[in-house]
Amino acid sequence: MAAEDRDERQPGVGRRSFLSRATSLLMAGGLTAGYGAFAAIAARYLYPARPDPKGWLFVTDVGGMKVGESLTFRTPGGALAAVARQRDTGAASDFVALSSNCPHLGCQVHWQAAENRFFCPCHGGAFDPSGKATAGPPFEAGQALPRYPLKIEKGLLFIEAPLDQTAGGAGLVG
Amino acid sequence: MSRVASWLGERLPISGAELRELTNEPVPNHLKRWWFALGGTPAYLFVVQIATGILLAVYYQPTPRTAYESVRYITDQAAYGWYLRSIHKWGATLMIAAVVLHQMRVFFTGAYRKPREINWFVGMLLLFTTLLTGFTGYSLVYEQLSYWGATVGSNIADQVPFVGKLAKEMLLGGAAYNDRTLSRFFVLHAAVLPAAIVALVATHIAIVRLQGVTEFRFRDEPEGKPATFQFFPDHLYTELIIGLILMVVLSALATALPAALGPKADPLATPEVIKPEWYFYVAFRWLKLFSGTVALLSMGFIVFVMFTWPFIDAWLRRTTRLEEVSVYVGIVGVFSIIGLTLWEAIAPH
Repeated sequence: MAAEDRDERQPGVGRRSFLSRATSLLMAGGLTAGYGAFAAIAARYLYPARPDPKGWLFVTDVGGMKVGESLTFRTPGGALAAVARQRDTGAASDFVALSSNCPHLGCQVHWQAAENRFFCPCHGGAFDPSGKATAGPPFEAGQALPRYPLKIEKGLLFIEAPLDQTAGGAGLVG
Repeated sequence: MSRVASWLGERLPISGAELRELTNEPVPNHLKRWWFALGGTPAYLFVVQIATGILLAVYYQPTPRTAYESVRYITDQAAYGWYLRSIHKWGATLMIAAVVLHQMRVFFTGAYRKPREINWFVGMLLLFTTLLTGFTGYSLVYEQLSYWGATVGSNIADQVPFVGKLAKEMLLGGAAYNDRTLSRFFVLHAAVLPAAIVALVATHIAIVRLQGVTEFRFRDEPEGKPATFQFFPDHLYTELIIGLILMVVLSALATALPAALGPKADPLATPEVIKPEWYFYVAFRWLKLFSGTVALLSMGFIVFVMFTWPFIDAWLRRTTRLEEVSVYVGIVGVFSIIGLTLWEAIAPH
């Protein structure tokens, strides 16, 4: 029987098995494409939409801040930045704006005046006033507090930060 | 009565005897010992979690502005809300403890050895799914510690090479914790992960039924005694008694030590002392001992060893010719876990 199936004098059988196999393949292809497209749409839906847009925000009057002074700025997203003036040349590079997000695992660092350092309570990371890690896991990994870009326009200091509003208004704290 | 029975019998063509035949299975005698019934304990607690979880979800609202207040409403105002929330919290604690104890029993009795490697693997998946369910559930409370726990947890995911950033963004719904994060945790905690647990438990039990339970004979058992007893009703009674005892224990814990509510999450201030739930103390202490990449890679390695242990064990026994090598490794492992957990529990930082 099996030999007869492959007999060329019985073209109907060969065609039938070819058609049967082809439809199976079509069926499998259609199912894969259909459910695959649905899975791709679901994955894209779950992936967060475009990164939050950034913008330049006013911080303070350049003339109003002396060398050695610092202030705390809150971004629209609620993150805190420590802005300090280190030199007096009138350029944006006089200032640093340190993020308060610990580069280790994202906890909030806070300033400890007595120890002259930023301290992270999660895993004991410490940073000097310039943001360089001095102790804990960030020190071992050679990390520093991230810096926000700054620019000066017409004597005013601006900071570049994400504009996504989740934690109230932006501005100076305290 | 018989008319009802015959009406049903015509529509569901199966007899009581056939049903018993289908579900019944001879159970080895060692399962009369209580510590061998530990596998059924997390399954029972899972049902408790589903029941209390559905009730909690009636009032819970998963957004940063409403989550904490809705948990406070459940705890302080809804009738018996404090009780249900406390049962849910203690149920999670006991479920994780039971999963770990069950796994230790399987480990120290060598029940994962050939041909049961696949079921060990399924069990490991269940362990991590259970831990992830605990993590996402605790984050829903939106108190200070749960908020910062979620932040640290997602940043740990971020450090995994290649896929870390994607995993973190998918978990948080953005580059950082935001307005859309809590609803993701809620969907994971209340739908995706429980569904995964149901599927894994079904697979776990199906494999046990296919292979049969491992057989032991203890030295104090008389010779010639039948090696098995009936699943139905003998073993079912054991499980029912365990269920009742668990319910009493859960109620007692919920009443004596009800679930508390810490200060509301403040994204601007990490608390001075931050600790995760007790079952993550090991990982948290490990993170403090080593720097990010080393801690993460070593943790990944340990998890890999846990998953592939049946094969490593077979290789170790072949090369060292020590039958009990897994017991020594297990003792070191258990004491390391207990040691690191206690260290984290006692240390202020």
